[in-house]
Amino acid sequence: MLQLFRRLILRPLRRDLTRTLLTLVSIALGVAVVIAIDLAGDAATGSFQSSMTTLLGKVDYEITNNGGVDETLFGKLATLPLNARFTPVIQQPVGVAVPGVPGASATSFEELLSGSTTMYGVDIIGNPDAAANAADASGDLDPENLEQFVVVSSELADRLHLKKGAALELQGSEKNARFEVRYVVPNQRSEWVAVDIAAAQDLLSMQGRVDRMEIFLAPQQDEQAFLKTVRAVIPDAYELETPGARSEENRRMLRAFRWNLRILSYISLIVGAFLIYNSIAVSVVRRRGEIGILRAIGTSSRAVLAIFLGEAMLLGLVGSLLGVALGRVLAGGLLKLIAVTVNALFVTSAPGEIALSFTAVATAVASGLGVAFHSALLPSLEAAGVAPAEAMRRASRDHAAKLHVRRDLVWSVTLAVAAALLSQMGPIAGRPVAGYLATLLMIAAAAMVSPVFVTGLLRSLRGPLKKVGGAEGLLAGRSLTASLARTSIIVTALATAIAMMVSVGIMVGSFRETVQMWISSQLRADLYLRGAGPPSAGVYPPISSDIQGLIADTEGVDKAEAFRGFEFRYEGARATFGAGEIAIQKGLGALQFLQGNSQEILTSLQAEDHCVVSEPFSNKHHVKVGDVLQIPLGKKIAPLRVMGIYYEYSSDRGYVITDWSTLRKYLPEQPVTNVAVWLKPGFDQEKVQRVLETELRKYPVTIAANRMLREQAVIIFDRTFAVTYALEAVAILVAMLGAANALLALVLDRRREIGLIRYLGATTPQVRKMILTEAGLIGLLSGALGLALGSALSLVLIFVINKQSFGWTIQFHPPGVLLGAALLLVWVVTVLAGVYPASVAAALQPVETIHEE
Amino acid sequence: MFPSKVSSAISIRNARKVYEGGVEALRGVSLEIRPGQVTALLGRSGCGKTTMLNLCGAMDFVTSGEVEIEGKLTNTLDDAALTALRRNRIGFIFQFFQLLPALTAQENVEMPLLLAGAKNAAATALERLTWVGIPEKAKSLPFQLSGGQMQRVAIARAMAHNPAILVADEPTGNLDTASGDVVLQLIRRAADEFGAAVVMATHSLEAAAIADVKVRMRDGHIESVE
Ligand SMILES: Nc1ncnc2c1ncn2[C@@H]1O[C@H](COP(=O)(O)OP(=O)(O)OP(=O)(O)O)[C@@H](O)[C@H]1O
Ligand SMILES: [Mg+2]
Repeated sequence: MLQLFRRLILRPLRRDLTRTLLTLVSIALGVAVVIAIDLAGDAATGSFQSSMTTLLGKVDYEITNNGGVDETLFGKLATLPLNARFTPVIQQPVGVAVPGVPGASATSFEELLSGSTTMYGVDIIGNPDAAANAADASGDLDPENLEQFVVVSSELADRLHLKKGAALELQGSEKNARFEVRYVVPNQRSEWVAVDIAAAQDLLSMQGRVDRMEIFLAPQQDEQAFLKTVRAVIPDAYELETPGARSEENRRMLRAFRWNLRILSYISLIVGAFLIYNSIAVSVVRRRGEIGILRAIGTSSRAVLAIFLGEAMLLGLVGSLLGVALGRVLAGGLLKLIAVTVNALFVTSAPGEIALSFTAVATAVASGLGVAFHSALLPSLEAAGVAPAEAMRRASRDHAAKLHVRRDLVWSVTLAVAAALLSQMGPIAGRPVAGYLATLLMIAAAAMVSPVFVTGLLRSLRGPLKKVGGAEGLLAGRSLTASLARTSIIVTALATAIAMMVSVGIMVGSFRETVQMWISSQLRADLYLRGAGPPSAGVYPPISSDIQGLIADTEGVDKAEAFRGFEFRYEGARATFGAGEIAIQKGLGALQFLQGNSQEILTSLQAEDHCVVSEPFSNKHHVKVGDVLQIPLGKKIAPLRVMGIYYEYSSDRGYVITDWSTLRKYLPEQPVTNVAVWLKPGFDQEKVQRVLETELRKYPVTIAANRMLREQAVIIFDRTFAVTYALEAVAILVAMLGAANALLALVLDRRREIGLIRYLGATTPQVRKMILTEAGLIGLLSGALGLALGSALSLVLIFVINKQSFGWTIQFHPPGVLLGAALLLVWVVTVLAGVYPASVAAALQPVETIHEE
Repeated sequence: MFPSKVSSAISIRNARKVYEGGVEALRGVSLEIRPGQVTALLGRSGCGKTTMLNLCGAMDFVTSGEVEIEGKLTNTLDDAALTALRRNRIGFIFQFFQLLPALTAQENVEMPLLLAGAKNAAATALERLTWVGIPEKAKSLPFQLSGGQMQRVAIARAMAHNPAILVADEPTGNLDTASGDVVLQLIRRAADEFGAAVVMATHSLEAAAIADVKVRMRDGHIESVE
């Protein structure tokens, strides 16, 4: 058996080294994408707590509250008879500048990103660990000067070239202050700066308030008793839970996003599966005679089956291992892309370390082997079914693959109908399971229709092919039809990859167009002002309370609307609470509602305890117009009646919007985070912007013109989807390798025929042209099938998967020109994939091939 | 005794052929092949018949000596010129028919014409199929034909572009006697009606019987010419 394996498998594998390598690379790429997406996804979502742990040690519980935690609570908690330590913490973005180095006056988007960082305010005296960390190098701690020093992470220190003893200016909403760097915490993957809590409160004018209370339990403290005691002390609206719960919440929030990436990555594996199938089918077809002889001399059909499955498993194993190594490398590149998306759409987090866990490797190898096994099953069974008499029969023919037009069509239509029905179903456990299934069924439907499609289209092209392509065109078309099994597999594989490109392209393009239209209706003011720092989901740097007045008094300003945004939690998920000044908003038509008259809805907001929510919020929490939300605000729980649901695309987290009059009742101290400025007619927007920038220069704020914000939105959008483009590129690459592989197989299978046409007077350029024409035809067929499949898939992506995962209504806007260009590019690359097989064909020696049997 | 060069389609002069493995397939043979005549190469397996045909068909080069086809020394021609020579002047018939399985009978016959860029390929092809007596099989695919029919299509294809030289390697080697006879008659007519110089390798006595010149070979030598 082993000897048979060596003879029948290993030797041919070595003989057709190029083909073997192409197959290995395509499996490896498929597996690599899957594992890379997993690893990078884990790293991008698994580290929400890491920086705080570095600073304070492992936190057991946290007390949080929408709108902040009252500082006086600390006094009450500290006196409780508990074996626990309580530490108030502030976590807010601040501007940073190195004195002497020209500051960041954000003229570009990039600069805007670089001028800020995350600030932690911690009680250093009350925290021996933090104090020890801080004092580490210097050895002495002068309590008098506590408020003048900062601890920075290595990452921030690297960016700003900070060393121990350097000066650093922090720019809070209310004031700027200069600090001295006392310690650089090594091996940090995120940027942050830690200061004493009093200094932090001073910078942000958060006197009396902190963001949360961290709790460390002593080992001997009974947890239940602790929970009971603390719950009795804190207001009802406050939450007490483990930091793990927060990470869990983050992970849950990212689940849909990661699943969508995962599904995309599996598509490359599916493409890889087609290629393994093709490769094994080739080796069976080419060794029919040999198998026949083996069977004639008494090898059992089971042994033949085992041998060919063995070949597949060998290819699968080696390919998967290569894939794991490649995936580890790819993950590094993907991590950045995914982290950008996570930060922009979901939650601010620092990417963690990529960990190549045993389970990840095992899963990748198992999926590689599984795919190899299943895709090899059919051709291996065919090999096992070869009759001993086959040895006597002449040359292997593909004619066995007869066309079953009716059967194939019936299957294809059945699968398509099933897919259509599935896509009508709602989410299961919040996930678009039926949608995923529908995409798989659609790919299967395309695979089933592929042979009919290939023969049909080639037949209708017969005339033009001969007229335009002459003998080469005729031969190319006919040989593809003759090797139907082979042709339809490669067409299906390529079409699947192209469909993925097309569907994601249509989805992203539609999304982009929708977002752009939404932004132009949303952004009606001339200038927008916000705290300095990168725009990031869930981060709302407060700005000084003086600013709104200053702006309103500036010449040329018509009106200025203040907006107060902050992150809050609702039913275990993060969302944004926002309060605007509806009196100003009214009549501008900025918010567009799913239903109802926007004037009436906005007017109704001026009444007490009314709100509107964004579409993703309404979808996520199943909120309808007329429902009353119970939202903890400050120490009370506010009952807010939903008056309307508006379109919103800026992030996956939902929005709840009220008038400031409503929020003020619960959180009178809530700082302004954004100001929208309308100019009087006749005033130059750029001039007024410059005047405002000079007037507000001592505040860490950025002023952006309407146009710049629109551009930014597009930049952020494109960055967010960079990861999907990367995935598509890999799938196309896999498919291209597959095309080259399959064309090579087509050439090697027809050595005799290619030799023959040389006898009939074909020149080598003619042989080359014939193979390239085949490549071009395969590209055309796959492009057409891929476009059809992709358009169907895009509907499922837009109206089922995306809608159910994220709750966005996306308008269908296929990006025609871009898609056309992409398809043309793919077609050109397919033709290029034919160059090597074509030169192999041209180099064949006719005298030798014609006598080969 | 020796005919002039002009009247020969192919002149082989003192040809030696040594294959890469070192096998000396031809050890200095000379032969004239004339238009309108059927020249049969006879001899045991391995004596060098196919090697001779490859030289006659401009498919291979001699190691030393000369092969002149229609006044051109093949050794001096490049690949493009050899291809041009084949597509315009030479037709081939094989033992195993060698039809292109994906093409119909008529398309198979058309192929050399299409490759050469000729006009009226389809009409000429049908004409040749009529000449070999199976016009009704024009639209059939090779697997739908019998062995004899396949070889007739192959002959029609070899004669499609009206070649000056017809090279046939054991054309009846894979056929029963009746089909073989039909094929031999067609080969004879190719020489008589088209004036082609036919050179044919064969083991069969029936085939040898239609030949004008019988060349007996042994171990890379020509034993006798009659
Ligand atoms: N491509 C090749 N490489 C090496 N040796 C070859 C090659 N082709 C033929 N030979 C050798 O050259 C000699 C002549 O072969 P050739 O095919 O001309 O014989 P033949 O007379 O046609 O035989 P048969 O009647 O069996 O077809 C043989 O010994 C053969 O083994
Ligand atoms: Mg021979």
